[in-house]
Amino acid sequence: MINTTILSWVTFVYFAAFVFYLFRMILGREFWGKLATWTALAGLVAQSVALIIRWKTSYDLGMGHAPLSNFYESLIFFAWTIVLLYLLMEWRLKNRSIGVFVMPVAFLIMAYASIAPGINNRIEPLIPALQSNWLTSHVLTCFMGYAAFTVAFALGIMFFIKQAAGNDSSKSGAFIRRLPSEYQMDELMYSCAALGFIFLTLGIVTGSVWAHYAWGSYWSWDPKETWSLITWLVYAVMLHTRLVRGWRGRRMAIMAIVGFACVLFTYLGVNFLPSLHSYTN
Amino acid sequence: MSKNKSGIWSFFSSVRLAIVLLSLIAFFALIGTLVPQREAAAELAGLISPRLFSLLDKMQFFDLYHSVWFFLLMGLLTVNLLICSLDRLPMVWRRFRMRLSPQNDDVFKDCPEENSIRAKADMAQAADAAASLLKKRYRKFVRTDEAGRAFLCADKGRFSLFGVYIVHLSILVLIAGVIIGSVFGMEAYVNITEGETVNTVNLRRGSQSLPLPFSVRCDKFTVDLYESGAPKTFQSDLTFFKDNQIVQQGKLLVNHPIEIEGFRFYQASYGAAPGGKATLALLRADGRRDIINVGAGYAFELPGKEGTFNILRMEENLMKMGPAIKVVVRSKKEEVSFWVFQQIDKIKQTNPDIIQQVAIFNPGLFRPYTFVLLGLEEKYFTGLQVSRDPGTPVVAAAALLLICGLMMVLFSYSRQIWIRIDQKKEGVRICIAGRSYRNKTGLERELQYLIAELKDNLEKSK
Repeated sequence: MINTTILSWVTFVYFAAFVFYLFRMILGREFWGKLATWTALAGLVAQSVALIIRWKTSYDLGMGHAPLSNFYESLIFFAWTIVLLYLLMEWRLKNRSIGVFVMPVAFLIMAYASIAPGINNRIEPLIPALQSNWLTSHVLTCFMGYAAFTVAFALGIMFFIKQAAGNDSSKSGAFIRRLPSEYQMDELMYSCAALGFIFLTLGIVTGSVWAHYAWGSYWSWDPKETWSLITWLVYAVMLHTRLVRGWRGRRMAIMAIVGFACVLFTYLGVNFLPSLHSYTN
Repeated sequence: MSKNKSGIWSFFSSVRLAIVLLSLIAFFALIGTLVPQREAAAELAGLISPRLFSLLDKMQFFDLYHSVWFFLLMGLLTVNLLICSLDRLPMVWRRFRMRLSPQNDDVFKDCPEENSIRAKADMAQAADAAASLLKKRYRKFVRTDEAGRAFLCADKGRFSLFGVYIVHLSILVLIAGVIIGSVFGMEAYVNITEGETVNTVNLRRGSQSLPLPFSVRCDKFTVDLYESGAPKTFQSDLTFFKDNQIVQQGKLLVNHPIEIEGFRFYQASYGAAPGGKATLALLRADGRRDIINVGAGYAFELPGKEGTFNILRMEENLMKMGPAIKVVVRSKKEEVSFWVFQQIDKIKQTNPDIIQQVAIFNPGLFRPYTFVLLGLEEKYFTGLQVSRDPGTPVVAAAALLLICGLMMVLFSYSRQIWIRIDQKKEGVRICIAGRSYRNKTGLERELQYLIAELKDNLEKSK
């Protein structure tokens, strides 16, 4: 199908964008930065087109649902939200140095969706439980949250790299010098975590409403539900420690990484536990 | 209140306790996803020693989310939230009610040099320019003029101070809703075969059944399949009776529950029920033909009284060859059983030798009869989830509050701006300072903007 072909090309486009961001960091020429941004944007546009085609195809096949209904589609959408959020941030902040850490995540997710065995990329009809208007809003909000947490995680990794290189900027390499300052990274990490927290909350709430209509209970301690709560609590702790106890920098970076580990487990790890959410598998 | 805090008060009002409790709840939740809970715990029983199992069971390890430990944590969190909020609320209220005073020299104490401007303008002109700028940005401002000095200040976003308390309140409301649900609510299930009526349901917790104040009849159950065999839609046509009067009728589909008298009915599952009907034609070698309606489980006499036959099984789609029934015929001499397919002609076309190869697919195995399946009407049962949860609206309100509160905490902020203008020999010196509780970066940007604007205004007016 045409949409999966486009999507597998987008994987390489994101990889190219990552390489260009890397060139910019090492060579320091803004030409590479601009090229990277435009490449990433082209990838995002192509991916959006592919998603729309996929959406339309599902209507043509008589199934008619948003491309958010199985594991393959969720991976694709995850990568899409990450790139979208990153490009918005780059545009707002006028800073390209985060791209070199965010783009590889998007690339890896796309690559995993395309080549991992056992991932079905066909458009499939919805089973009755998924035939709900809440599907789109639930998946949309959850993955917006996941994307924001992913960027926070990338910033956490950047923070540790910057710290490991030492504070003496004259000695460290060009790559390190072009990273944002520790203060900036800390602020951005907080902003991303806060944005992700709002979206995760919305995701849990929309999920609860849906469960109320589909399963007869707004909360049933299903492993995926429980893990989303754990993730929520971890970020709640992160926000409290920052806003009230004044934690900054290194501790925030640790929290961002721990939080992201929870996100990953909520998204992927739970599939190994028996769950009502098993249709995402 | 802040002066004579007792030990308990300060313990419960600490944010450190909140952080510890949130972490503990997260940890408990994590354990609960790794250790099999409730019914699933039985799997574990065979793997560990019975004494350990019963010990863990007594400690409510296999029902963690409803255990004393979990309730204790939630109780502590509730107290913590309450005390924490009560402890800080008076201060926040004061901050909210506080009148801004323009003469605030404290904020200018460590005002960096780049936050001040020197301009060749007179006092009144500079003060007016600052006033119009603040009016443009903040609508309201306060101004005090002294001899040789002028003070202005403005602020925004005072309401955002309450965001955090709205979030805390929402968690308390949520806990209240959950308690209401667990005290006054219930979860149950019931299977109803097509055509049957029930007035009790089985509770999920414990094995009791609960009588309903009405009765439910499943008039019809229909299932639509995709080509892959996965269900597309399934629905039950339900009728609710009270005192033999129909009170409600409706189609129940997945994702579309039916509510009646506070009970909500959900389409949860379905299955084949005994009691389907088949229409058979019995052909005899001499050309006689009899049509019989049969139900599974009953014995029928053959038209020529050679013996009896029973329907053993009914299948909608046996081995992808369409509807089929399994018949056993018993006579004094013999007992034979075989499958009767509805689409036998079609099957013979694709596979002409099937009857010779597979004897039990031969509908003429009992001579002189040949069985022909004319129609099959399978019977289903519908699996319904029944629940009543008066706490749901409370929980929904809590969710709304939570989202509003979080928006206030994370995306709005309070900010105060002060401007001081001093008369100097060669004009005026303008200092700008600000304070923000959460958005320091935004404040810096705002101060730079204000300075640039003010500089611009004063230069233009020259």
